[in-house]
Amino acid sequence: MSVTLSESLEPDAVESREHLPGPTSKRRRARPRLTAKLVVGSAVVAAIVLFAIVGPFVTQNPSAISDVGLQPPGDGHLLGTTQTGQDVFAQLAHATRGSLTIGVVVGVLTVVLSSLFGVIGAYAGGVTDEVFNLFTNIALVIPGLPLVIIISSYVPNKSIWLIAVVLAITGWAGSARVIRGFTLSLRGRDYVLASKVAGERTWRVILVEILPNLIPLLASQFVFAIIFAILGEAGLSFLGLGASNSFTWGTMLYYAQNGLALRLGAWWWFVPPGLLLALFGAALSLINFSIDEAINPKLRSQTRSQRKGWRLTDKQLEAVKEDAL
Amino acid sequence: MKTLARRIGFYVIAFWAAVSLNFLIPRLMPGNPVDIMLSKLAQHGPVTPATRHSIELLLGADSSQSLWSQYVSYLGQLVHGDLGVSVSLYPTPVSTVIAQTLPWTIGLIGISTVISFVLGVGLGTFAGWKRGSWLDSLIPVTTMFQSIPYFWLALILLYLFGSVWMISPLNGGYDVYTTSPGWNAPFVGSVISHGILPAATIVVSSIGGWMLGMRNMMVSTLAEDYIVTAEAKGLRPGRIMRTYAARNAVLPSVAGFAISLGFVVAGSIVTEAVFSYPGIGSALLNAVNANDYALMQGIFLVITLSVLGANLLVDLLYAVIDPRTRQRG
Amino acid sequence: MKVLRPGRRARRRTVALAAIACSTALVLAACSSGGSSTQNTGGGGGTGNAKNSSITIFNGSTGTITENFNPFMSGTALQPTLGVIYEPLYYYNLAEKSDPQPLLATGYKWNDKGTELTITTREGVKWSDGQPFTAKDVAFTFNLINKTPALNTTGLAATAKAVDDTHAVLTFKENSFTQEPSVLGNQAIVPEHIWKDIKDPTKDPNVKPVGTGPYQLKSFSAQSYSLEKNPSYWESGKPQIQEIRYIALDSADAASAALTAGQVDWMSSYLPGLDQLLKGHKELSYVNTPALTTSIFTCSSTELGCKGPQTDPAVRQAMYYAMDRTQLNKLAGGGFAGEASPTLLLPDRDKDWIADSANVTAPQTADTAKANALLDAAGWTKGSDGIREKDGQKLSMTIQTVTGWSDYISINDTLKQQFKAVGIDLKPTQLAWNEWNANETQGKYQLSLDSIGLGASSNPYFTYQGKYNSANTAKVGDSAAAGNFARYKNATVDAALEAAGATNDEATQKAEYAKVQTEIIKDMPYVPIYINSTLTEFNNSRATGWPTDDDKYAFAATWKAWDNGIVLKNLTPAK
Repeated sequence: MSVTLSESLEPDAVESREHLPGPTSKRRRARPRLTAKLVVGSAVVAAIVLFAIVGPFVTQNPSAISDVGLQPPGDGHLLGTTQTGQDVFAQLAHATRGSLTIGVVVGVLTVVLSSLFGVIGAYAGGVTDEVFNLFTNIALVIPGLPLVIIISSYVPNKSIWLIAVVLAITGWAGSARVIRGFTLSLRGRDYVLASKVAGERTWRVILVEILPNLIPLLASQFVFAIIFAILGEAGLSFLGLGASNSFTWGTMLYYAQNGLALRLGAWWWFVPPGLLLALFGAALSLINFSIDEAINPKLRSQTRSQRKGWRLTDKQLEAVKEDAL
Repeated sequence: MKTLARRIGFYVIAFWAAVSLNFLIPRLMPGNPVDIMLSKLAQHGPVTPATRHSIELLLGADSSQSLWSQYVSYLGQLVHGDLGVSVSLYPTPVSTVIAQTLPWTIGLIGISTVISFVLGVGLGTFAGWKRGSWLDSLIPVTTMFQSIPYFWLALILLYLFGSVWMISPLNGGYDVYTTSPGWNAPFVGSVISHGILPAATIVVSSIGGWMLGMRNMMVSTLAEDYIVTAEAKGLRPGRIMRTYAARNAVLPSVAGFAISLGFVVAGSIVTEAVFSYPGIGSALLNAVNANDYALMQGIFLVITLSVLGANLLVDLLYAVIDPRTRQRG
Repeated sequence: MKVLRPGRRARRRTVALAAIACSTALVLAACSSGGSSTQNTGGGGGTGNAKNSSITIFNGSTGTITENFNPFMSGTALQPTLGVIYEPLYYYNLAEKSDPQPLLATGYKWNDKGTELTITTREGVKWSDGQPFTAKDVAFTFNLINKTPALNTTGLAATAKAVDDTHAVLTFKENSFTQEPSVLGNQAIVPEHIWKDIKDPTKDPNVKPVGTGPYQLKSFSAQSYSLEKNPSYWESGKPQIQEIRYIALDSADAASAALTAGQVDWMSSYLPGLDQLLKGHKELSYVNTPALTTSIFTCSSTELGCKGPQTDPAVRQAMYYAMDRTQLNKLAGGGFAGEASPTLLLPDRDKDWIADSANVTAPQTADTAKANALLDAAGWTKGSDGIREKDGQKLSMTIQTVTGWSDYISINDTLKQQFKAVGIDLKPTQLAWNEWNANETQGKYQLSLDSIGLGASSNPYFTYQGKYNSANTAKVGDSAAAGNFARYKNATVDAALEAAGATNDEATQKAEYAKVQTEIIKDMPYVPIYINSTLTEFNNSRATGWPTDDDKYAFAATWKAWDNGIVLKNLTPAK
């Protein structure tokens, strides 16, 4: 799962921060360059988002039942029909909207929660940091899906919003740790210290001096959270614990699976939601590669001689490394 | 040693948090075990008001106690290793169900995680070392596999390998028709052949993360001064890669190992459902479907403890392989 | 995983021809790891030759299997405990109209007051440990239940005494004719010489079951267990299949894969597209035995606290006429459903119990005119949006079903379209099973899609008593787990049921049930839709003699207690 990706990336991300130049020049350099990865990733994501926005308006009613079930693609049904004669394409459009909604909601919530715990804790330091960090670490080690399964089996009549909140609550901790690590390193920067000495208020230091530097990192965490959420929702739905009365990729797969779509040869029912999910996830990963390369220039493709030209920094690296442990 | 004490202190608190969470969540669930058992009975035959009474007696259900005294007695039971009795599998103790299922999951997850880690880190090392090579360009492809839902991949693999090409077993943990559990060759062989496809699913879905993480760390590490120095000294590239770069680059991956284990556990729950694998994930799902409070609690607790335990283990291991953590204390 | 080599493929064909069906994928593991198939205990589903015939059953168990062969725990004991290992006194076939068939008893007689039941037990029956079975075991079983309230799931209040080795007398405190099916047909008889030493029969998993049934336990593991033929079974020449294996599968997908791969011989799963799945598998067949009436349960009584338009009987009547059952069957029932009866009985089996022949089946097409007329007469007038209303209340109701019950969800979607035509607005909701269940037992719903279960015998008493007697209901908010979820309260019905229960004269009973039927058709607290299919799939390559549409000698479903034993002992190895 993508979460693994974000976890194993995280200490790296923390360290890579060290090599960033100051804030002003960074803002210029951190903008992802137009690499092939970025172009392809953005194009796919844009296409799927467009489908989610426009699709439901132009397709048929996804719940409308007709008497001819399991029709192969063609003949009025672009992607065929389900067991009860519902239009798969229409369902796919609504499902895409549902899944993306969950993804975005979870993404936003994750970023908010993780910045809250990560930035404030790390900036304040002392007991606050201890408590916040402890809380984050506990949330991190308690396995998410079993917890989500239990929570969602508790809640009746689940809306996709609720599923999103549950996923966010169980998924923010990893991001918070990454963000904390980076904030710790920023806290000691000269310009932050300077603004502190200048008597800036705390919230201003956080908002003006620290947060802008976190933006690329937050963006990458946001993207990860989306993948995590969509996959998590799909897993929950597949187990029959997802949102009721709604369409997502997960619920579509669940019904296709219940209808034995694969065994009855109805690939047009089973394959599209999964494929779209994989495509979307892969596209987001490509975007994340670009973000990573932007915030960690070392990851860019360079020649060996260029690499040798890199100058290394500094004591803080050690400090951050240790904190990451 | 102060670091170590801190870490252990942390795990104690995390353990307490997990235990308390475990106590609270199921209590907030709707429905009560007696009604559920009654409805189960009604599917088999008639029920009368007397049935209700008899089941209340059977389950010893007493909701009149206060939440606090329930919590105290819950903690007391835990201390004695008593996880209660499963409602849906009455009168089997929860611990028996866990004992039956946990080994399968540990085996499946353990082996597939180790394979995935070793392969991923190995490939990541090479990809980072030889950047821009064909292996490196494979990285986006492996991360795409990560975005494929476990169960979707599992179902397709099962359909193709099991039903279409018929080279893999269709379900279960071993061949129940011709072998019987024990340390005999046919049984062990059949456990392996039944485990390949589920394990492959987990490996395929999780290897990309290791690979990418390792590759990126390798790239960062290779830019360090001491690598340049090593190169300047004329050391053999293989030695630089293994001893100088990979050894340092692997540290974050090791730190991430245990945490990612939690996610592999999550994936395995879904995978087990697809392969009808007799592990703890499938038991958890059955418990949820049957609203079996005690079983759910027990399984959640055991999963959490296993993940905590794995974390602690890796933490200790980390202290061994990374001397800095020791010195700091 | 072994790769199929050409040589292996060739041998597999010969093996299959020799009728030792090492089937599909498992043949690879089974036949190849064994080296040769001399000692074949049944790769795949089992074997079909008479000497070591074996079949495999999937009875719906999922996940890990835990050992429990305690016949007093009908809810959680492993399913073959009842009927295959332990037997009752009589067998009640609910699949068709028939008299109870004697198993461990050969006769029974009530006294006139219905307080004393004399049972004549079968001679020559042995427990599987070799001890003889006598009337003392029968007496012991019922006394054990009587003195252990936790085992008394049917509310039995009888003391028993063995008069001699073949006669036991049960004495009840009051008229207990209605207890007859639960005493005779729903209670496994246990051996006194073993159970007298079991300390706590409410907690003992009885891992070494000793019964009189056609099979006894052979081996157990958490993934599968098998039973072997009871060599001293009392019915000579039966059973013929040597070994039965039970397996657990987690999903319909796994079940359909195992079935088509030949790994399962008998299972009852609703598999969508069944005909298509079985295409090309000549050895597979299925039988459809609709038995459970899918109905709209309504929270009907304002007196007990129900709220909403469905408390008006006219609305319930209108729903009854407004639905197009043919379309419902086609879209949601897969075309497998049977026609339901407004009396909630099964039209085929219970025809004789239905007083008015007009009430045998419900109308199969929508009668919107009648539905509209009913609603008009009751004062529900159409609003501008086409939805009716009365006294400011919209004719709009929520109907609950369980998340993932795809056929029920389809019913709701279809009903919503059908009801709209008569101005009824239906709002389908999907809930988790436990929430749905809690809502029903506590009456916190307006409409709920559910089905009427099977009774203890085919006597309508057992359907009517649970579902309609106000003794079995409770106020909204309290648990009515005994079955009257509709909160139905009707003094005429209560009186008629009491009268029917006090006699064992079928003519009298029929007259009383006629009164019940008149009331419930008028009030319609449960609106029948159709009789849901029960699909059971068989593999005929290893065993034959399964129940068929023409020969319903037992209820075919694998999950049905008691009937299993009857089916299994009537099977013969395939030629």
